[in-house]
Amino acid sequence: MKFVFSEVAQSFRRNLSMVVSVILVTFISLTFVGTASLLQMQIGEMKNYWYDRAQIAVYMCSDVSASDVCPQGEASEDLKAAVKEKLESNTLSQYIEKFYFEDHEQAYKTFQEQFEGNAVAKYVTAQQLNETYWVKLNDATQSQIITESLTGVPGVEEVRDQRSYLDQIFSILNAASLAAIGVAVLMLFSAALLISTTIRLSAFSRRRELGIMRLVGASNFYIQLPFILEGVVAASVGSILAGGAVLAIVQFFVQGYLAERLPFTSFVGLSDGLLVVPLLILAGILLAALASGLAIRRYLRI
Amino acid sequence: MISISNVSKQYRGSARPALNNVSLEIAKGDFVFLVGASGSGKSSLMRLMLREDVPTKGSVNVLGENLVGIPSRRVPFFRRRLGVVFQDFRLLPNKTVAQNVAFSLEVIGKSQGFIQEAVPEVLRLVGLEGKADRLPNELSGGEQQRVALARAIVNKPALLLADEPTGNLDPATSQDIMALIERINLAGTTVIMATHDRGIVDRLKKRVIELKDGEIIRDQIGGSY
Repeated sequence: MKFVFSEVAQSFRRNLSMVVSVILVTFISLTFVGTASLLQMQIGEMKNYWYDRAQIAVYMCSDVSASDVCPQGEASEDLKAAVKEKLESNTLSQYIEKFYFEDHEQAYKTFQEQFEGNAVAKYVTAQQLNETYWVKLNDATQSQIITESLTGVPGVEEVRDQRSYLDQIFSILNAASLAAIGVAVLMLFSAALLISTTIRLSAFSRRRELGIMRLVGASNFYIQLPFILEGVVAASVGSILAGGAVLAIVQFFVQGYLAERLPFTSFVGLSDGLLVVPLLILAGILLAALASGLAIRRYLRI
Repeated sequence: MISISNVSKQYRGSARPALNNVSLEIAKGDFVFLVGASGSGKSSLMRLMLREDVPTKGSVNVLGENLVGIPSRRVPFFRRRLGVVFQDFRLLPNKTVAQNVAFSLEVIGKSQGFIQEAVPEVLRLVGLEGKADRLPNELSGGEQQRVALARAIVNKPALLLADEPTGNLDPATSQDIMALIERINLAGTTVIMATHDRGIVDRLKKRVIELKDGEIIRDQIGGSY
């Protein structure tokens, strides 16, 4: 065993630049993998948070509604009562947790709050804003039932599931994380190639020793172990650095920067990071062991 | 000890087989010279006995192992039971004499205690006492071959394969090396030696197997070159 470790140390000194490049490539590629998986977790977390709060808006016709959907103009009290009745009926109420009505005045108040300081807040009037039934479902995924039964009902301008806005945001985030994973896979592939080249180079620089070891009957495992360890040690250093980088991103960028600026969103925390890091290190070690094992096996056919 | 029957070896890309239907038996304790011109198949035969290669057809049995069917993970354990020396010594230039011998024991997992005892003993046996701490390039060719022999026999092998061990040495030094190999043989180790040295073969009067174009053309006890 002492022999094996001194071989590894000696080989590191001999191939220092290659070892450094292996460390850097695994470091960067695994950082990408880690960040991408945290982004996936973040998407999951935001989905949970926002889908829980997402409601269905049943916009009633107003004076300014397009005449093809609202030929009668402003929805009358009768039409509003009809929609309310539908929501309270047995067929729909079993899916609904609660609903409430927002009239022109309330809508105006909310609008003024949301767009405070914005020029549009000055020009909008209460009559231009739709009166709305806000519906909260027991199960947010069943929004289609409400949409289908209320679309086209007289006095209803539009039924809109808020999740449709969220889905756009999530699909952008999702695409970003998939792109990051794609880049990461490519880099991991090049890391594997780099490891196997490094191992082959270091086997070549030790070919005299290897020849003698084979001649005197050193076992294959004993011959291959230093090379596999060499790859594994280099890749472990890279993956530990990547783990540190991922934790730093969570701590200083997500929690320290994003979370302070967007207080109403829940973000991934250190505990999520600590879940990802061991997997990263394991992936790095496995990758290196496989790449260097295959490389040395092909080089050292008995 | 060694039984080779109907062995042919055809290397890829060459029209003529390197070995053509070769059969031979070598008993325990024998001393055998393999002679023949370059390209006659001596080295191919040695490679088969070391399991560096497998024959295209035929069977090779060495030290009770069927070298055609042996699984590759058992090959190292087979090689531990024989010693090999070459024309070019194959020493590690950055290790001392003692370290070179010790290296071959370390890599097969021998204990430090065993190594500390066996290395000085084998160096005394080959006549290198007092040179344990020299580097190979500080030694003469004959002394370097002694180191290689020490490394080959330190594990007390039943079989010593020597591929032109005197090929790089002057006649006087060759004689010393041959005297050493004879001593090793007398101690019970079977020796198979490929050589071009007419003088050595004629003087020792051992069994001579002559190869020509991959075939055995002579197998003579007490023969000459």
